[in-house]
Amino acid sequence: MRQFLTIAFLTITTLAAFGQEGIIRGTVIEDATGFTVIGANVLVKETGSGAVTDLDGKFSIEIAPGAYTIQISYIGYESLTIEEVEAKAGEVSVLGDIRLFEEAFETETVVVTAKTIRTTEAALMTIKKKSPAMLDGISSSLMKLTGDATAVEAAKRVTGVSIEGGKYVYVRGLGDRYSKTTLNAVDVPGLDPDRNTLQMDIFPTALLNNIVVSKNFTADMPADFTGGLLNIETKDFPDEKIISASVSIGYNPAMNLNSDYLTYEGGNTDFLGFDDGSRALPAGADAAEIPTPISVIGGQFTKQDASDFISGFNPTMGAEKQTSFLDLSASVSLGNQLKLGSKESGKDRGTLGYIFSLSYRNDYTYYDDVFYGEYQRLSASDAYPLFYANIQEGQLGERNTLVGIMGGLAYKRAFSKFRLTAMRLQNGESRAGQFRIDNNGDAVGQSGFIAKSDNLEYNQRSLTNILLNGTHVFEGKGWELDWRLSPTLSTSEDPDIRKAAFSLSPLDTFINAGEGGNPSRLWRSLSELNAVAKIDLTKSYTFRGENARLKFGGSYTYKERDYEILQFDVQFFGGSQSFPSGDPNEILVPERIYPDGNIYIQSGNIFPNPNEYNSTVNNAAFYVSNEADLLPNLKAIVGVRAENYVQRHTGRDVIFAQGGDGNNLDNEKVLDALDLFPSVNLIYSLADDQNIRAAYSRTIARPSFKELSFAQIIDPLSNRIFNGSLFPYPGWNGQLVETRIDNFDLRWELFQGGGQLFSVSGFYKFFDKPIELVRIPTQQTSSEFQPRNVGDGRLYGVEVEIRKSLSFISPALRNLSVTGNVTFVESQIEMTQIEFNSRKNFERDGEKIDDTRQMAGQAPYVVNAGITYSNLDAGLDAGLFYNVKGRTLEIISSGLYPDVFFKPFNSLNFSLNKRIGEDKDTAIDFKVSNILNDDLERVFSSFEAEDELFSRFSPGISFSLGISHQF
Amino acid sequence: MNLKLLATLFVAFGLFFAACNNNDESPTAYDAPSVTAPSGVVSLAAGTTAQSIDFTVSIDPELTATYQATGSGVTISNPSGSVTGSTITINFDAGNTPGAASITVTVTDSEGQSDEATAVLGLTDESIVRLTSNITADATWTADKTYVLGGRISVVDGVTLTIEPGTIIKGEAGTGPNATALLIARGAKLMAEGTADAPIIFTSIADEISPDDVKAGNFGSPNLDPDVPGLWGGLIVLGKAKISASNDNGQLSEVQIEGIPTSDANGLYGGNDDGDNSGVLKYISIRHGGSNIGEGNEINGLTLGGVGSGTVIENIEVVANQDDGIEWFGGTVSVKNVVVWNAGDDAIDTDQSWAGTLDNFVVVTPAGSCFELDGPEGNYVARHTIQNGTVIAVLGGRSIGGSLIDVDEATPVDMKNIHFVAPLDGLTITDDEVANTTFENVTFETDDLASLMEQGGAVPAGISAGGSPVADVSVLSWTWASQAGGLDGL
Repeated sequence: MRQFLTIAFLTITTLAAFGQEGIIRGTVIEDATGFTVIGANVLVKETGSGAVTDLDGKFSIEIAPGAYTIQISYIGYESLTIEEVEAKAGEVSVLGDIRLFEEAFETETVVVTAKTIRTTEAALMTIKKKSPAMLDGISSSLMKLTGDATAVEAAKRVTGVSIEGGKYVYVRGLGDRYSKTTLNAVDVPGLDPDRNTLQMDIFPTALLNNIVVSKNFTADMPADFTGGLLNIETKDFPDEKIISASVSIGYNPAMNLNSDYLTYEGGNTDFLGFDDGSRALPAGADAAEIPTPISVIGGQFTKQDASDFISGFNPTMGAEKQTSFLDLSASVSLGNQLKLGSKESGKDRGTLGYIFSLSYRNDYTYYDDVFYGEYQRLSASDAYPLFYANIQEGQLGERNTLVGIMGGLAYKRAFSKFRLTAMRLQNGESRAGQFRIDNNGDAVGQSGFIAKSDNLEYNQRSLTNILLNGTHVFEGKGWELDWRLSPTLSTSEDPDIRKAAFSLSPLDTFINAGEGGNPSRLWRSLSELNAVAKIDLTKSYTFRGENARLKFGGSYTYKERDYEILQFDVQFFGGSQSFPSGDPNEILVPERIYPDGNIYIQSGNIFPNPNEYNSTVNNAAFYVSNEADLLPNLKAIVGVRAENYVQRHTGRDVIFAQGGDGNNLDNEKVLDALDLFPSVNLIYSLADDQNIRAAYSRTIARPSFKELSFAQIIDPLSNRIFNGSLFPYPGWNGQLVETRIDNFDLRWELFQGGGQLFSVSGFYKFFDKPIELVRIPTQQTSSEFQPRNVGDGRLYGVEVEIRKSLSFISPALRNLSVTGNVTFVESQIEMTQIEFNSRKNFERDGEKIDDTRQMAGQAPYVVNAGITYSNLDAGLDAGLFYNVKGRTLEIISSGLYPDVFFKPFNSLNFSLNKRIGEDKDTAIDFKVSNILNDDLERVFSSFEAEDELFSRFSPGISFSLGISHQF
Repeated sequence: MNLKLLATLFVAFGLFFAACNNNDESPTAYDAPSVTAPSGVVSLAAGTTAQSIDFTVSIDPELTATYQATGSGVTISNPSGSVTGSTITINFDAGNTPGAASITVTVTDSEGQSDEATAVLGLTDESIVRLTSNITADATWTADKTYVLGGRISVVDGVTLTIEPGTIIKGEAGTGPNATALLIARGAKLMAEGTADAPIIFTSIADEISPDDVKAGNFGSPNLDPDVPGLWGGLIVLGKAKISASNDNGQLSEVQIEGIPTSDANGLYGGNDDGDNSGVLKYISIRHGGSNIGEGNEINGLTLGGVGSGTVIENIEVVANQDDGIEWFGGTVSVKNVVVWNAGDDAIDTDQSWAGTLDNFVVVTPAGSCFELDGPEGNYVARHTIQNGTVIAVLGGRSIGGSLIDVDEATPVDMKNIHFVAPLDGLTITDDEVANTTFENVTFETDDLASLMEQGGAVPAGISAGGSPVADVSVLSWTWASQAGGLDGL
């Protein structure tokens, strides 16, 4: 308490002092390696006062307002003099990253101006140049310069990255299974439990320190990524006081202010991203016996019980039209650092940093011509065209709300740093769709009907993360210790997914179980806890006169997931099933509810519930990695990581649940492996600006919780059924195992200063037992899938990357630069016998079926290209970015149903950021997305047949305008 | 110092306990009596006599007490008496009605203080056999009992289930994974030979029909209307005869029956044995079934997947099934003497080139099509015959969605001697895809035959206006439909 009072008092005195003096801050880094320089001397020439850089390489000097010259020196490095450093009363002047060069024979002093330092490309390029791993990224300095609002906009500037759905980031066209996202270097479950990667549009850039994408593995990273590992690091000590606010609006002519927009009556707190209970499961619905006419006859319940129970279900079953608003987003961020201890006493009590941010976003999406198709092949081998089995066409409205709160406290003494960060994200997505269904009775397994359906869904997700992190440097001994503790709780709930379909015949509009199906209600809930403890130790030493580093450490990760689905059907206890108005909101009306009417609700749940599971993971990892110059120009990083991964599952199948002799697992091991992941990275410096890199590593892709289960999950919209891999089938033993991947990389890179870069890479990956979603060929009526290990996979790729200023054409073009990244990948997978047979069975005349094909989810090419104009003096940054991914196999053919491919989506986006005001502290940004107005399409593709649509969404062209101000 | 502290604590504790005792010990009161019933539900067979149950009792030792016992659903032989010791034993006979019963004991002491406790009894019906697991050894179901399907019960390969005439089988309620059904897997046999006097009835747990009703000749449900669908699944028979499915791997075509997820291999059907024998199904009435497994994925009343010609199926009734009445998926079995009443979807549905004959049948008011006939899905092609039937398409206010006859170009079917009763307004016959279908003496009670043609095209040969009912309903008199008057006038 006394301590706290002291700190509070000191804070107040500090704040008081702050009024008169200015503060100069900066970070000193070693140019050659990009590492921060600890203990460098910072001297203000005019006053003779100074500071020493701390463990982050940072310094902070309080000084009377005026212009100063600052000199930075460190043993073995050339001294650097920075002129025209302005200190303003009550303000912080941030010098950014200051690079020190290794001493040449002749000691000389490099002189630059403060402005040059501030606007030079950030340390990231240096990191890239000398980093052991092939990585790329974007620093806070660059994010600040470009004015990107969220992490996803910033990440798209990183080469080799493609953005999916405006949220997810993938590298080199490899799918989600082979990508990974970490927050502050620890595992966090994403908001979408079916994905490995975290959605990136939830992080405001104001609070990010950097985003780094690693394309190959070193032993200090988690081993479960193959394409790329993306790490987001939040800020701890803001260099300057941040009080910023931003507001932006978005408009898409097809989606916003549209009176056709579809929605449904939700709860009063939908605008905050969670349901207020309007969609809660009615009391007693999760009991083994629920009140129905049948249990009333059985004597367990009264008619009144049944009537009350049915009335407990929210009666809204239909979508309604309502004009959508503009997209809106707003955020405020605060942050600062305070020096504790009074100047008078001269006693340094350390530095306290804090950050806080609150952000809110509300977006509307409306598609007025959504299309879902199912197409089949005919049995005759000379019949090439595909013909439809089922077509759903209609309108879909979505409202997406995101609230994010983040706060952090950090405390630093010269050689120790502690930080505590807490974050909570809340995301709610409300969806309402109306579709017309045309089912073709002539197709295999289809009954043939015309129907209309209303689908109402709500998905709410939350993520709560806490990070406690300590860093300690043992000065003079070359040791650095970093430890992290980070628990994360994430939830995803779909409360009350509602569906109601009416068969449309010339004579009647009615509910027909065998056609559009009876109305249904479904509740899904998932919660996942991730707890990570991690420690890293680094020892710097000298090897043959060069700096070398030995790094070792360990981590322990515990994950636990609980998942449950409860489902209910509307039923008719005899009598009329006719609804002449075709209004789904007239289904659960009092006069139609049992016993006055004939409608009741039946449970689809067995207890114990086969659609419920609990899984845990215990993953203990240790690694050791050494980085040293083996030869004068050859740096080698050699390491090995060991991970002991144990996954346990509690779950059962339907047969067991109903009391039969089925499958049941009670906290039993479904994965248990100790793996070694070696990695070798060699960097040969051809010249000061050229490197050749070669790398080998082994990585792993593990099955997800859902994949290693007995769950049978029906997608309410598409009716596709997912079967957990634990079910054995003929030709499948029910034992899904990890995929182990050998990665080989070779790269030549050329750095041309000013952030210019040219590189060519080649890579080869071998996948042992890759996992793919396999369509089950014996199922003809509906579509069932199961994740299985399929035959070995191989992947060869070439990647060319360029970042070039156009100043070489004419100095007038110096602000223009082009960035580009093209990846070509040839992938191949060996088919299973089942798949080969299914395909052979539907071989068309003239077609030759191979026993290999491309890997599912792997794009054959990815192109990212951009042209940017950046005039920092004028505060103007603008860019035009193009991204396209080649035709990618998404769903594997079962013979009858052909392969489904994702068609290239030509995404062209423009962004412009202009800083205005005397201090350029107000920024206006303007963006246009999907300028080419392309559609997102997946298609069925068969030999000599025209492609037919599997799904189509038209996102339209959207515009957004934002303003942000730094107070 | 420490000693002093300890002493203080002791004194404090002592004072505290003394205070408690003082509060509890009222000088004028005796302990109130207490009586406790056995916990939980005591389960015993309905109708069993000379049972006893013990209540635990405690009385202030200075007092005496008496008890009174009352029961519901039981007859108590010692309803009152004095309390001696710490146990009261109540002797009773369990009533004959299965369900909840109870015994309440009230104890009153000589000071007039009393307490009561109730024991809850569950009177089980010994005549009810609940099934929750697959039938993996030969079994016989007898008419003196009711068999309850507690889930999806499969008779597995190599096993024979025999059902005696007059036996009632009831499915528990549920939908989706919770749906109940009886499945006769490939290689298993169902020997269910009912008789006209003692049919075998498959119905819902909600149906109060009893073996006594069947014995008395009352085959209809005493409490459910004949249009209540979807209360349980259905009867599925699977065999090894040829089917025409798209999953043929050269020699063999086998697929999963609709309504059963592929994770249950008992749902596979199809093979090369056209003479396959899945047993005998005679005089069977299947009611109130067709619960939903997934959307558009319900269970038919009687599903016949790849059933071979060695199987005997005759005298079958399907009432109020939520999906189709009878659906054939390939196979070679022939079926005769059939009533499909109030089907929730199609009445007669054929797929995958069924190669048998449906002979002598009545269809009444399906909500889907009267005939939904499809052909081969694979390379194998075979024809089926549908003959001697009467169809009542419209009656009362039931919803109608399908066609009178729905065939497609690939449907190899011969339809003979079939009569459609008026009214038929608004219903249609496929007329543009009848290339592979033959009609012979198919008659419609209408003045405007052309208006029945879906595409307004020419009336195919063999179809004519007029005619009269052709099915021989005399052999169907055992059905609920007939008993309820549904076949009157045919």
